[in-house]
Amino acid sequence: MKPKVDIDYVCGLANLRLSQKEKSLLIPQMEKIVKWVDKLEEIEIDVSRAEIYTPVTFLLPFRKDEVKVSLSTEEALANSPEKDASFMKVPKVIEEK
Amino acid sequence: MNITSLSLTELKKLVHNKEIKAEEIVISYLEKIQEKEEKISAYITLLGEKALSEAKKIDTKKEKGVLAGVPIGLKDNLLTKDIRTTCASKILENFVPPYSATVVQKLKNEDAVIIGKTNLDEFAMGSSTENSGFFITRNPWDLKRVPGGSSGGSAAAVAVGEAAAALGSDTGGSIRQPAAFCGLVGLKPTYGRVSRYGLVAFASSLDQIGPLTNTAEDCALITQIISGHDVMDSTSSSLPVPDFEVEVKKGMKTIKAAYLCEEMLEGVDSEVEDIYYSTIRVLEDMGAELYEMKFPMWEYALACYYIVATSEASSNLARYDGVRYGFRHSLSKNINEMYKNTRTEGFGLEVKRRIILGTFALSSGYYDDYYVKAAKTRGLIRKELDEAFQKVDFILTPTTPEPAFLIGAKEDPIAMYLSDKFTVSANLAGIPAITVPVGLNKKNLPVGIQILGDVFQESLLFRLAFLLEKKVKFKKQN
Repeated sequence: MKPKVDIDYVCGLANLRLSQKEKSLLIPQMEKIVKWVDKLEEIEIDVSRAEIYTPVTFLLPFRKDEVKVSLSTEEALANSPEKDASFMKVPKVIEEK
Repeated sequence: MNITSLSLTELKKLVHNKEIKAEEIVISYLEKIQEKEEKISAYITLLGEKALSEAKKIDTKKEKGVLAGVPIGLKDNLLTKDIRTTCASKILENFVPPYSATVVQKLKNEDAVIIGKTNLDEFAMGSSTENSGFFITRNPWDLKRVPGGSSGGSAAAVAVGEAAAALGSDTGGSIRQPAAFCGLVGLKPTYGRVSRYGLVAFASSLDQIGPLTNTAEDCALITQIISGHDVMDSTSSSLPVPDFEVEVKKGMKTIKAAYLCEEMLEGVDSEVEDIYYSTIRVLEDMGAELYEMKFPMWEYALACYYIVATSEASSNLARYDGVRYGFRHSLSKNINEMYKNTRTEGFGLEVKRRIILGTFALSSGYYDDYYVKAAKTRGLIRKELDEAFQKVDFILTPTTPEPAFLIGAKEDPIAMYLSDKFTVSANLAGIPAITVPVGLNKKNLPVGIQILGDVFQESLLFRLAFLLEKKVKFKKQN
């Protein structure tokens, strides 16, 4: 039977890469975990009607839209692995053909 | 006087009566750390010098805060301005936050002294602190055993006397389970009671910050200080915060509580079960009205939790890409390679496992069957609890199915996930829950009882915890 979790596809979505060793450990574990959570299939619930539950049972107050002092550029950049003047520097974004 | 064995309330009194200086308190705790830390490994970052100089400053103040000079440990997923905050992950190993979490600021406003940042399972994902990206922490009651997790460092530090109290975070039991394993009181407050601003997000609809303390009174005191609305967290409630310090001692005229039927205790260690039932009998002797109850939806709570928590985690952890902060893989030829290499090298195995599960649950074709189904199942779990709270004020459960287990005993992830069997429902429903140590098993390991209450009923939880504590007289290790 084809496994339910296509690990390479999911890792691609999550920007992760697994070594062969990690894969051989994780593939059977994922199958087992997914089978375990499949227990939810037993619950009869009208998914189209029931509401997605939120633990916030009180009114969410909005704060006033006022400009306030926030992090300075220097503070915001302090943890950046690579920077140039007031910019965060990253490797090449556009690939050459 | 053995300073490190005093409760917060005792320390508070001594400082305010000028019988002891903040500096003396901090020195005592630093000596304890010197003596014990090598064996326990509770802290990722220790702040000895800084703590001492802060204590000296506090001693010169005329008006002192409520927690003047009290050394507090902070789980290392709570941001501390200018102090490294790692989440026990290589991906944040050298991260120095530009601001502090609201709870940290609130403790500092009361002159508490931050003594160190405690170990945890990487990004709070785990139940043993074995998933820390740096090292494991040991349980002070038995060094061969885990302190629980994910707030294992916080629990071990308080239990061994390396901190007077600590803060942890609880997404599925991460305060209550380690507190129970280490013989402490631990509270997961109602969702929204405490600001999450500056708590590194794991699963935002489940996470809450709370205290791990030696006594119910201490727990009430810390909760009092950290609670309340915060403009920086729109999910924090603006409901008034009761005076928990006064509430805790109010006593109770009637105690209406539910306990679990035997069927729900299937798989629970027999000594834990015995201690659980003997605690129920203690309550009975106290005149409590007790009702045996069954919660059929709890059978689905763990599966529901692991879908919701990992889905939210996969989204929250997408921010670790090596661009703005944290570790970056330096030899990547383009930005996509850099993202992938950074995350692959920066995250540990359990974090990857959970990101993969969450990404799967949110992926096209599976979203409705997994994420939506789980998110809607939460409502049914809450409904069942609401029905119980029509009749009772409390639901009592064992905090954990077993006492602290041996290091390395749970290699199978599902076996580890089962540690959260009794704790996840409170997070899914957003209700408060407290654990109180109520006994020791034959191996001298602590066992806790969990008390669940209705939303924003922390006062009641403190009151019952306080009464129970006085009755069972749990003997601390140190």
